Amino acid sequence: MKLLIVEDQAKTGQYLRQGLTEAGFNTELVADGNSGQQLALSGDYALLILDVMLPGRSGWQIVQAVRSAGLDTPVLFLTAKDAVEDRVHGLELGADDYLVKPFAFSELLARVRSLLRRGSAAPQETSLQLADLRLDLIRRRVERGGQRIDLTAKEFALLEMLLRRQGEVLPKSLIASQVWDMNFDSDTNVIEVAIRRLRLKVDDDFPDKLIHTVRGMGYVLEERGA
Amino acid sequence: MRRLSLSTRLALLFAACTAVVSLFAGVLFDRASEAHFIELDQQQLETRLIGLRRALQDIQPAQRDARLADELSRQADLSLRITSGDGQHWYDSSAHIPKNLPLQPGLSTISTDGTDYRVLRAPLYPDTADSPQLTLLLDITHHQHFLQRMQRLIWLTMGLSALATALLGAWAARSGLRPLRRMSAVARGISAQSLDARLPEAQMPPELAELAHSFNAMLVRLDDSFQRLSAFSADIAHELRTPLSNLLTHTQVTLTCPRPLEDYREALHSNLEELQLMAQLVNDMLYLAKADHGLLVPKREALELADESDALLEFFAPLAEDAGIELSRDGQARIDGDRGMLRRALSNLLDNALRFTPSEGYVRVRIVDQPGAVSISVENSGEGISAQLLPRLFDRFYRADPARQEGSSEHAGLGLAITQSIVRAHGGQIHCESEAGVTRFVIELPRT
Repeated sequence: MKLLIVEDQAKTGQYLRQGLTEAGFNTELVADGNSGQQLALSGDYALLILDVMLPGRSGWQIVQAVRSAGLDTPVLFLTAKDAVEDRVHGLELGADDYLVKPFAFSELLARVRSLLRRGSAAPQETSLQLADLRLDLIRRRVERGGQRIDLTAKEFALLEMLLRRQGEVLPKSLIASQVWDMNFDSDTNVIEVAIRRLRLKVDDDFPDKLIHTVRGMGYVLEERGA
Repeated sequence: MRRLSLSTRLALLFAACTAVVSLFAGVLFDRASEAHFIELDQQQLETRLIGLRRALQDIQPAQRDARLADELSRQADLSLRITSGDGQHWYDSSAHIPKNLPLQPGLSTISTDGTDYRVLRAPLYPDTADSPQLTLLLDITHHQHFLQRMQRLIWLTMGLSALATALLGAWAARSGLRPLRRMSAVARGISAQSLDARLPEAQMPPELAELAHSFNAMLVRLDDSFQRLSAFSADIAHELRTPLSNLLTHTQVTLTCPRPLEDYREALHSNLEELQLMAQLVNDMLYLAKADHGLLVPKREALELADESDALLEFFAPLAEDAGIELSRDGQARIDGDRGMLRRALSNLLDNALRFTPSEGYVRVRIVDQPGAVSISVENSGEGISAQLLPRLFDRFYRADPARQEGSSEHAGLGLAITQSIVRAHGGQIHCESEAGVTRFVIELPRT
């Protein structure tokens, strides 16, 4: 799975590339709009990450060219300008998502994964599982090691998200947005508390902890062994 | 085209007024003197007519001419023509009498060969049908000359007085407009450094007092905004300086000597936390800057405020349960607004309320549907906020809790300012009231 990054600021581009490569993606980086558009039009990429302000050709022009060539490659815009009309303009031209600098890398990674997942329709699952933790989507029940765990509706939604995206570091803002539909920057520690309470029910009585905090980045559900 | 100056305009208006008034007076005088002369002439001619009629009454034709010459010699400017009933010249007292004289009876004025005459034509025997006609001519050239001189004088007076009032008017306007020039001098002297200059309102004439008042009020507003802006910039620098200096120190100290891997990881984590706070701070400040520039334009979607509040209460539920605080909502209302923005505004209030509510306390959202407006209040129990702090609560970077003033990372003190910006962008208002252990933030939104 190949990603294309078009970013003219060398440091930003390199860090993005390093981060995405280490996250397991095959990533290519170019620094100007013209070669960016050329590569984007080849259709070899699963996702385009475009800066708006680029030498030669703007990110908007690239997405326009890509869309008029009939390609539906998902496009994620990065921009330093947080003007509403910019956002609307970008989305109208066919961008799929939009991140305003400064953003956290974990946020970018989570969005990249969401966009890539969007293409491949996940099979209709009836249950989700990790180790001895099992979540029954139809009966809306959670068990661990055969033991029933009672969760509130939001705790269930939170655990479902963690299970669906197990192994991925989920930033707090993404959790707030997906589970509670709160789409704004907030410095509240609600998510920390919610995770702590979920942990109390899911992890505390078991030696193998599944919910982990990645300091400064978010939370991840994975099996790490004892 | 350049507009005329106010003084010039006033001077010209004055001049025009004087010209019109003096012209009017002059014309009136001219007409009056002419009428007066006509009256005089008529009287004179009528007296003569009576004399002549009497003279011609009982006299032989032979003596007639001599008698007439005698009668007329007493007045040099008078001439006489006598015509028969059928129009034939019988007698002319002088050779200079114009050939054609008006035929209608009564008084008229004619002018021939540079001489003006007042003419009176009347029958010699008023009671006889085809009586001979007497035509008396009075030379009035000197009257006419007097009138012409009069008219010239009128034009001259008019011109001179218009000129004089123009000059006087210009002078009067200039001195009358002196307060305006003073205003302009004050305005010229105002810059960012001297926004405290004010016009002396008491010394202004009443017409300008209102303008001076508005001008001063504008200066007060500008000064206030400017002070806030300067304070804001200073605060930004200050707020960023603390985490930046932490980052610098920490990074340099970490790099001064070789350390175990775990220490580097720890240093990076700590830096990451600082950086996240700075990013949050910058984003919040950009949000406020956008609001200041009127770029915060709310969408207008139909919102059920009860649903929005419940969603927020559900979001904060884990926090409240942990802290042993009771969350509740009552009332409902529908309003057009921006869901994301209003949620953010309310979330700041709730977050704030939860932070200052002691265990076993409560936080209550109350929605009141009023005609024309909706009010949403967030109320919490706990130690109140002292009255003198209330107006400052919405100031940027203001923290009511002095213990958490400096460098404490967690809250930059922009939450309430952001909430206020959002409420204002919706055309609403927010205020805080605090009494006897209850603090209440009240948002009032107009129903548009």
